[in-house]
Amino acid sequence: MTLEKVTNLIAEKKELDPAAITAESTLESLGFDSLDTVELIMAFEEEFGITIEADETLQTVGDLVSLINSLTA
Amino acid sequence: MKTILCDLLGIQYPIFQGGMAWISDYSLASAVSEAGGLGIISAGNAPPDYVREQIRQTRARTNKPFGVNIMLMSPFVEDIAALVAEEKVPVVTTGAGLPTKYMKAWLEAGIKVIPVVPSTGVAKLVQRAGAAAVIAEGGESGGHIGELNTMALVPQVCDAVKLPVIAAGGIADGRGVAAAFMLGACGVQLGTRFLVAKECTVHETYKKKILAAGDIATMTTGRRLGHPVRALKSPFTHQFLKNEMQSDMSLEELEAFGSGALRRAAKEGDEKNGCFMAGQVSGLVNKEQTAKEIIEELFAEAAAKFKEAAAWVK
Repeated sequence: MTLEKVTNLIAEKKELDPAAITAESTLESLGFDSLDTVELIMAFEEEFGITIEADETLQTVGDLVSLINSLTA
Repeated sequence: MKTILCDLLGIQYPIFQGGMAWISDYSLASAVSEAGGLGIISAGNAPPDYVREQIRQTRARTNKPFGVNIMLMSPFVEDIAALVAEEKVPVVTTGAGLPTKYMKAWLEAGIKVIPVVPSTGVAKLVQRAGAAAVIAEGGESGGHIGELNTMALVPQVCDAVKLPVIAAGGIADGRGVAAAFMLGACGVQLGTRFLVAKECTVHETYKKKILAAGDIATMTTGRRLGHPVRALKSPFTHQFLKNEMQSDMSLEELEAFGSGALRRAAKEGDEKNGCFMAGQVSGLVNKEQTAKEIIEELFAEAAAKFKEAAAWVK
């Protein structure tokens, strides 16, 4: 559920095919530099009504999904 | 000229002297603060003992507010972050990353946190974390630079946050100061102009090179590393660019080649192997003055510009 939402938002931001994004995809490989990542995280905060502490451990889409899940649980 | 930034920080003129690694030590920072601006000590990659000594020396020379600039990629960042909280320095500015994880401790120590922001997203993020103001620094500046330029970045950051915005990058005289205020900033930060201040202890060769530089004297290297740097063209930047284009040179080798180059320029005046970081305004910086003379001249010029411009409006 969360993975789908996250994937769709990423796909929308970078005009990618959602099917090409998996939990293992790194944000870097999807074309997000550090500034894009800040924007992305803020979009997720708005979408899920949470506050995310951005740090270097966020590498893959899966990392993002588990972080969001832990914050919305 | 007085703006809300003056009241916020208890300074006379709304101007910061940018933190410049290996260059802005207590001598320059205390002179700028004494002259009514905000002097800023650069922590750069220096160890905590050095920074503590700089803070104490600054305090011995001025009772006015000053700041410490923390380079977030420094190997000593954790220790420096703790040190500024312990010393309760009045202002902390940050560069090269997101300062959010340190901000709680700094705010608890009563520090005003003013991060350098390269985008509206980062500006919003630090606003939420409790920043007192933000510095919108365009790619005209010297040293490590972002993608956007001042003219485009400043108004967009002003629209994105409710905080006071300090404009940086491309400002060296009263015209630049006036323009920055017109873009919505309520303060300015200058590096290159203060680098040639009489109180700046940088190597004489560095000052001479900036005073002699023209409009096309600077260039950007390090794009391949993901953190571009603006510096005066020199044998070093020439070689760096060559290495950068050489695909068989690894990122690690390239980093190693650049390591220590700023120190060699700032401390040794090494014209061959030094990296003389400087802004695009180097061509506008033509005389060595005291920090006080620089600040007073900047704001006299800016005030004159505002009066001239008012005549255009019916």
